Amino acid sequence: MATSLGVLSRKCTASLTQLQGALRTTSLGSVRTAAQWNPDPKWLNQFKGPILMPETQPDHGGYRATLPLYNLNDHPVERKCRNIQLNFGPQHPAAHGVLRLVLEMDGETVVRADPHIGLLHRATEKLIEYKTYMQALPYFDRLDYCSMMYNENCFALAIEKLLNIDVPPRAKMIRVLFCEITRILNHIMGVGTHALDVGAMTPFFWMFEEREKLCEFYERVSGARMHANYIRPGGVQYDLPLGLMDDIYDWARKFNQRIDEVEDVLTENRIWKQRTIGIGVVSAADALYWGMSGVMLRGSGIKWDLRKTQPYDAYDKVEFDVPIGSHGDCYDRYLCRVEEMRQSLRIILQALNKMPPGEIKVDDNKIVPPTRKEMKESMEALIHHFKLYTEGFQVPPGNTYTAVEAPKGEFGVYLVSDGTSRPYRCKVKAPGFAHLAAIDHIGKQHMLADIVAIIGTLDIVFGEVDR
Amino acid sequence: MSLIQKTLNLFRAIKQNGGILSSLKTLYVTDDLKWGTHVGTDKYGNKYYENNYYFLSRNRWVIYNPDFHLDYDGSQIPPEWHMWMHYTTDKPPTVKPPVNYKWMVPHQENKSGSSEMYYPYSTTRTKIESWQPAHLRTADTEEQNPKLFNIPQNNRIGVQ
Amino acid sequence: MASHLVGSSYGAINRIGARLSIRTSGLFTRTFATSTSANVYKNMNPPRTEEMPWAEVHEKGVQRFFWNELIRGMLVVTGHIFKEPATINYPFEKGPLSPRFRGEHALRRYPSGEERCIACKLCEAVCPAQAITIEAEERPDGSRRTTRYDIDMTKCIYCGLCQEACPVDAIVEGPNFEFSTETREELLYNKDKLLTNGDRWEAEISSNIEADHLYR
Repeated sequence: MATSLGVLSRKCTASLTQLQGALRTTSLGSVRTAAQWNPDPKWLNQFKGPILMPETQPDHGGYRATLPLYNLNDHPVERKCRNIQLNFGPQHPAAHGVLRLVLEMDGETVVRADPHIGLLHRATEKLIEYKTYMQALPYFDRLDYCSMMYNENCFALAIEKLLNIDVPPRAKMIRVLFCEITRILNHIMGVGTHALDVGAMTPFFWMFEEREKLCEFYERVSGARMHANYIRPGGVQYDLPLGLMDDIYDWARKFNQRIDEVEDVLTENRIWKQRTIGIGVVSAADALYWGMSGVMLRGSGIKWDLRKTQPYDAYDKVEFDVPIGSHGDCYDRYLCRVEEMRQSLRIILQALNKMPPGEIKVDDNKIVPPTRKEMKESMEALIHHFKLYTEGFQVPPGNTYTAVEAPKGEFGVYLVSDGTSRPYRCKVKAPGFAHLAAIDHIGKQHMLADIVAIIGTLDIVFGEVDR
Repeated sequence: MSLIQKTLNLFRAIKQNGGILSSLKTLYVTDDLKWGTHVGTDKYGNKYYENNYYFLSRNRWVIYNPDFHLDYDGSQIPPEWHMWMHYTTDKPPTVKPPVNYKWMVPHQENKSGSSEMYYPYSTTRTKIESWQPAHLRTADTEEQNPKLFNIPQNNRIGVQ
Repeated sequence: MASHLVGSSYGAINRIGARLSIRTSGLFTRTFATSTSANVYKNMNPPRTEEMPWAEVHEKGVQRFFWNELIRGMLVVTGHIFKEPATINYPFEKGPLSPRFRGEHALRRYPSGEERCIACKLCEAVCPAQAITIEAEERPDGSRRTTRYDIDMTKCIYCGLCQEACPVDAIVEGPNFEFSTETREELLYNKDKLLTNGDRWEAEISSNIEADHLYR
């Protein structure tokens, strides 16, 4: 077969040189060597007759081309052909940030998907080793910048585990409240951009209106719309301002209708279904083998949610269902995400109703800085203040792996302390990293346009993948 | 009902903006035509309005001084009105006057890109000074050439 | 069936666990069991096991033929055209900000006009991005003051730790966010710039601190 191809290509080059000669004589100015040549009738006519004669070979069991006689003197040229490599991203808007995906294409089918990561690498883990625990907290906002407070919560929980402290109930409930707001924040982003990538633009706009309101809640409680720096080791930074809970309630009452609207447009829509059902199927076994978590795992039908299996904060005090899928395709995962938003709403309402009074920080001045009033009145508090903001608090030696069920999956922190005020090692387990690693497995034999849908359903954010 | 309300609002807005021609001018400058109660005017001539018929964050607005024309900028709002505009407080400075100290300086818009823009300079004397040959050093005392000694002209450090 | 059994036994264990925890300690300790009584997993798209009944076939056929869901989605989208737009007309209208907002930095003064900063360098020490540089000297009147207070606003991550650390409320993150610049250099703030910021924004900064004093 290779030899026969060689013949074809040789003929092709011969006629190409003729063509170029013709071009050279007729062209006005310089010769463009990059001219594209397309087969013309004259060229095609020479293959009208029988050239490739199939002949059954007993030892090969296939076809063999018979070469015309005049070609016997020439040695056939070996030519290598390979599939097109397509660079997807990092500037592609559907790459969700700075994903550089090298796709090997066979026509429009993806043969191999090779994600190249690291364009947003900021050496966060190494930087954290040189920061006190308090200073390291803002870095966690910037890991998964779509679910800011969840990351903070994970780091705070890890420190609290090493310190062996338990935060007050009100702080726990505030954490649950804002973690679930964060979950909705993230799923609005995830579902909205997924639909946008697949072609449904309008839900994105509706949902971002709601996201804006959630960002305002963030701003009212912490002072920043995104990078909150709010959930601190030992509690939360400030108490909820007056009136915030009323406003969250007002918003939560109306948000279900917004989800309904999105579902009206997407869930039964045949275009959406055609683009998502049977696309990016992950079997339950594969989901486990590839280390997936969160919706990627539950979409395949595995009942696993850290809020249920190992409740942290006040998640054992609230009632909610965990949606799972059964087919493991993009559509099931979309349904799970939408249902998770509704369940988050349920948790938010419960958290508002069950919000206990009391302290929002641990009453230990060796860990939590004193209030400003104390700091200005008491010398001892001022000394604590100075110690905490310069040296930081010491954490007893030990290590912990603390994980939370972040909107994208299991977000974990492996924290090693050597007894000083800085972590010896802080390894971040980001859910998006494991999901992105499986893109070759999931995306194989899909069309190019389905890769976009798969990236959307993976819900990857490069802050946490590249770290 | 709501259509009647909307038509009424349009007429009110046109009336408030002073006729059709000046309404068209307002529309050209602000892309919007609204009516509301005039809450106050700051010392730069920006007028502030409020109408709770519109939803929150559209119910307070500013019409910049007509002298700015199209060179309006969000940073032209002085702090006392800034907090009312941003819903940080519900009391405009006409109701609750802001603190006033003699050392406070008047507001300034963002001057980036203009000739008055801020440019960083060191507020301390350089630790290492380059050696100056004797024949060049004669006239360069600190008073005569402060730039050489890196001391800003408008040094405002310390008690005013 | 098996999973159902497992679920129910979890529930039983958990009920015991809940009773234990209530008896032993306060309301907000972890329960004995690792799962709660509301251990419900909800399948959003269960696989179809039985054959589709004719009524559903008919319904689906009608939906397929008459584009029901497409038209409904279209109507929902069209309906939104007639709703009031949610966008605001910046800079004539502005979004809400809370007193806690962390924006452009400012150095404050006491009402007498004396600058607050005493060069304790807590903010320099706590800044995670190491954006603050301070040099201090004794002033002719014998008090300790900074001679250099530089903030590299291009490094700053607006985490608010400096204003938390400041024992004299000197450095604050003010309410201004409209300080974007056309060049990088303009964002390297020095002491004069920061003090001028404080002198300009004092009306709002002091009002915000007053509004939030209960929580600080």
